[in-house]
Amino acid sequence: MEGVSYQRFPKIKIREVKDDYMKFELRETDASIANALRRVMISEVPTIAIDLVEIEVNSSVLNDEFIAHRLGLVPLISERAMAMRFSRDCDACDGDGQCEYCSVEFHLRAKCINDTTLDVTSKDLYSSDHTVVPVDFSDASSTIDNTESRGIIIVKLRRGQELILRAIARKGIGKDHAKWSPAATVTFMYEPEIYINEELMETLTMEEKQEFVDSSPTKVFDINPRNGQVYVHNAENYAYDDEVLKKAEAMGKPGLVEIHAKEDSFIFTVETTGGIKASQLLINAIEILKQKLDAVRLSADTVEADEQFGELGAHMRGG
Amino acid sequence: MNAPDRYERFVVPEGVSKVSYERDTKIINAATFTVEREDHTIGNILRMQLHRDENVLFAGYKLPHPLQYKILIRIQTTSQSSPMQAYNQAINDLDKELDHLKNAFEVELARHNASQQREF
Repeated sequence: MEGVSYQRFPKIKIREVKDDYMKFELRETDASIANALRRVMISEVPTIAIDLVEIEVNSSVLNDEFIAHRLGLVPLISERAMAMRFSRDCDACDGDGQCEYCSVEFHLRAKCINDTTLDVTSKDLYSSDHTVVPVDFSDASSTIDNTESRGIIIVKLRRGQELILRAIARKGIGKDHAKWSPAATVTFMYEPEIYINEELMETLTMEEKQEFVDSSPTKVFDINPRNGQVYVHNAENYAYDDEVLKKAEAMGKPGLVEIHAKEDSFIFTVETTGGIKASQLLINAIEILKQKLDAVRLSADTVEADEQFGELGAHMRGG
Repeated sequence: MNAPDRYERFVVPEGVSKVSYERDTKIINAATFTVEREDHTIGNILRMQLHRDENVLFAGYKLPHPLQYKILIRIQTTSQSSPMQAYNQAINDLDKELDHLKNAFEVELARHNASQQREF
């Protein structure tokens, strides 16, 4: 091909990373890339979730499909998901999706034998694969939680009630069903750029300045107590609500502040269900987006067909 | 009862090609690409990338109907280029951009983790 390239080199800066939370800045690219990443993180990065439930005994108060639905929503550790196969294109099993390459089996067996209610939780699910287990939230809140953590409640059993079932977990994507979405929330905002017209600002009295600062529903501006100057406290608190601009207008001082959204600079917040780490979610999303792009490349036969057509077309045009 | 399978939204049916190409009959150097089972995610990044190409006179995409899981990408170029060339170039550039982004993120993550460790 030719030497021309219109490629960009985006910059990335991490602000904060926890297992299931991440905040970062993405710069020198445009909103289409930011939005594609957000969309892929929410609905196209694969995870593992319970997809098929065979209930043997259920004498609980919840009906079978209710329990199956609840089981489906339990987040499972999905580090393996990227390497796993979708059961629909797994050739080890003939499409029934029950082999080790495309599924994980779970068993649950619980019976209440005394007068206190028994909580059946995600910790009662026994997995056939130790790498795919229900997400454990206990250590995150260990400082507050004094009793042993019991996981996610699936159903409560009364004396004599029993629940026995077998469940198959499969790889899937959020587009298919939200239970497969690894993301709790993924958001991005444009970075705001705020200019204060200092000259005009100095024409305000102290009370007017305070009124102006207070007009913002979020704390964007503040007054320096030493010199009485209005300064930008935190630009990112600005919610693009235009309240301060309306206030400036109402005070008869249009142009007191100017606020722009930087079009090539984004602040992302990513929260996951715990199934995969937030940092891994972004890496997987980039990988999936690359795979999607590869899939939309023109196949060799369409190029060939066009070349023939092209000659024909040239003849017809009299070339 | 007669609901279509959920996977119909993202699995290309057998016998259908992922991308098909159709030249415009009236305008030279213009064509429409039909991409099966894709949406705004791919449509918008391709459109924006095509706009960066100075030989591209027009680039747009549409999702004709929310229940027809395909997008149409229309490209018109100058005689210096061709819709197919512009399309391939856009995909290559985006691919390289994402490679760069992945590397940049991995480097940044390592740097961030190292600086985090030093604090403890």
